[in-house]
Amino acid sequence: MIVCGIDIGSVATKTVILKDRDIISKSLALTKASPKLAAEEALSKALRQINLSEKDISYIVSTGYGRRIIEFGDRTVTEITCCGRGATQIGSPLGKIQTIIDLGGQDSKVISLDEEGGILDFVMNDKCSAGTGRFLEVMASVLEERIGDLGEIALRSNNPVRINSTCTVFSESEVISLIAQGRNKEDIISGICASIAERIAGMITQVGKKESIFFCGGGARNRGIHRFLEDKLGVELYVPQEPEFVIALGASLIAIESLKKI
Amino acid sequence: MKEILERRYTLTPFKKEIKGLKDAFRRASLRNLDSMRKRGFRPKNISYYEEVILGEKRYEELKGFSGRIIGYFCTFIPQELIYAARAIPIRLCSGFYDTVLVCEEILAKDICPLVKSSFGFKISASSYFELCDAVILPTPCDPKKKLIEILSDYLPVWVLKIPQDKTSSSKEIWLEEIKSLKERIEDFTKTKLTRQRLEETIKLIHKRQTLFRQLYEIRRANPYLMGGRDFLLVIQTSFYDDIERWIDKTEELCKQLSKEKTHFKTDEKIKILVTGSPIIWPNFKLLNIIEDLGAEIVCDDLCSGTQSLYNLVEPDEPTTDVMLGAIADGYLLSSVCPCFIENNDRIDRVLNLIEEFRVGGVIYHSLRLCQLYEIESHRLRLILKEKKIPMLTIHTDYSQEDTEQIKTRVEAFLEMLKR
Repeated sequence: MIVCGIDIGSVATKTVILKDRDIISKSLALTKASPKLAAEEALSKALRQINLSEKDISYIVSTGYGRRIIEFGDRTVTEITCCGRGATQIGSPLGKIQTIIDLGGQDSKVISLDEEGGILDFVMNDKCSAGTGRFLEVMASVLEERIGDLGEIALRSNNPVRINSTCTVFSESEVISLIAQGRNKEDIISGICASIAERIAGMITQVGKKESIFFCGGGARNRGIHRFLEDKLGVELYVPQEPEFVIALGASLIAIESLKKI
Repeated sequence: MKEILERRYTLTPFKKEIKGLKDAFRRASLRNLDSMRKRGFRPKNISYYEEVILGEKRYEELKGFSGRIIGYFCTFIPQELIYAARAIPIRLCSGFYDTVLVCEEILAKDICPLVKSSFGFKISASSYFELCDAVILPTPCDPKKKLIEILSDYLPVWVLKIPQDKTSSSKEIWLEEIKSLKERIEDFTKTKLTRQRLEETIKLIHKRQTLFRQLYEIRRANPYLMGGRDFLLVIQTSFYDDIERWIDKTEELCKQLSKEKTHFKTDEKIKILVTGSPIIWPNFKLLNIIEDLGAEIVCDDLCSGTQSLYNLVEPDEPTTDVMLGAIADGYLLSSVCPCFIENNDRIDRVLNLIEEFRVGGVIYHSLRLCQLYEIESHRLRLILKEKKIPMLTIHTDYSQEDTEQIKTRVEAFLEMLKR
């Protein structure tokens, strides 16, 4: 039984292909202006790696903001449900997962899980891009750094600046004026990461703080945010090996379960 | 009678005709109706209410009315007093986004969308607002207070000061407000609100409310007979429609529904309670999302919904004083508006509704900049959490730009409830 989960995010589209319950292939494509093309590209890439074609797949679950755009899917499920499913499957060395933080490109979310791994509550920040991957992207470009390097740079600072603005557009001008004031780049980047961590910590308060926290989404690769979050929350966070694939994995697992119900 | 508005400075009212506003309203309304039709199983005579909400026919009808038309806001204004003066009350709270934009030419972006949308109708001299000879405004929140002042440049505005709580001293002050309003209406319409007229109109509105309660009970017994949006449509047409005709049509509707059988299996759909800031036609964005995703809005505590027709005015004896007292109590005590300092009544009502309608989840409509409702949402959320009743808060306004994001949240919430 071969199934597929596609997570069409605002920045990247991720695909996971399962045979029974094992991952046999996965791929990532940048979403850019066409989520539809990105989904097709990600799927065919994943299929090429294992010499299979679309007809070999019994069931496809699509998720993410572009979940309804593709035509080849069998079912759509929201990224929140998929995220919970994926994280529960991966598990955590910190014990049974109680809270998930997902830092995506266009939104960030905090999900609270019950004893069985079902979703108990969630909050999402998606009206404004502060506290999301998009925010990091804008800041990286202003500071002429690669987005992937921001976390490491942030960790080098001993004196993070305080970013006061709560809006990406205003933060951008705030950062530009900090540069003009001659503030150290490391300190600015560190301040940016700290401000994202602060927003997420606020969301955690809304759903109720729990001990075992799982941190995923592309943003979980940023070690600066990771560290600041741990400092603010006073607990260790677990980041899985490939944090950006958690939701696609969850979608593929839901595909198996949907097939069984047919 | 004491004047509240001194009007020391009067300004030339800002007016601006906007082309195509009526068409835009029609388009927005038709979009809702299309979405509502997708549910299937709608009562036969729902088309009557559809026509009323589109407004064109009713507008012409009111235009030809020779008496006074008196506009009002919120659920605090006793329509008994207006009808008793042979005038017609029209509720002016609006949910139209295009008139928000009109209003933003003079008022800042960060102001309550409901107030701006309603005022935008006045600026653009369109719709029911233009037909009103006077308007009555209560003072539940800051934007409405200042709307009073702004509107006073355009037409006579009467203020009904809402007490901060429902204690006995507040009730006395409120009764005085109602009595002043009565005098004001008498002066303006040059009609004496006789004991007999009052008695008649109390009966008329009592009939409407009792009928509404009948409809409410029919839906409580079987929420699937009629969609939640259709239910709100019926309620909101009563803000504009000829009251006697509305009663006739709704009697017909109740008769029809009591003969119908269940359309959906019990518990086939997730039952949702909608609470929070007012949701007013054509701003059915959140409701459309919920019901398009297959859930059913089985009940609400909205002031633009059930709250506006549920209260009963029942005087013990038909003397003017007793009747005015009953009116005052009826409109004040039944309100669960967050304008009151302590609002336990609202929490009680929400908990009751959850039990009565066997609600699966609560969706809280938090209208952007509607601070009182926004603040209360936190308290309600915690109380519901203790009782293990899931609640989703949606912060939004009248624009359409966040439709997809709201859809994702509501869909995830429903997936969570389905488990």
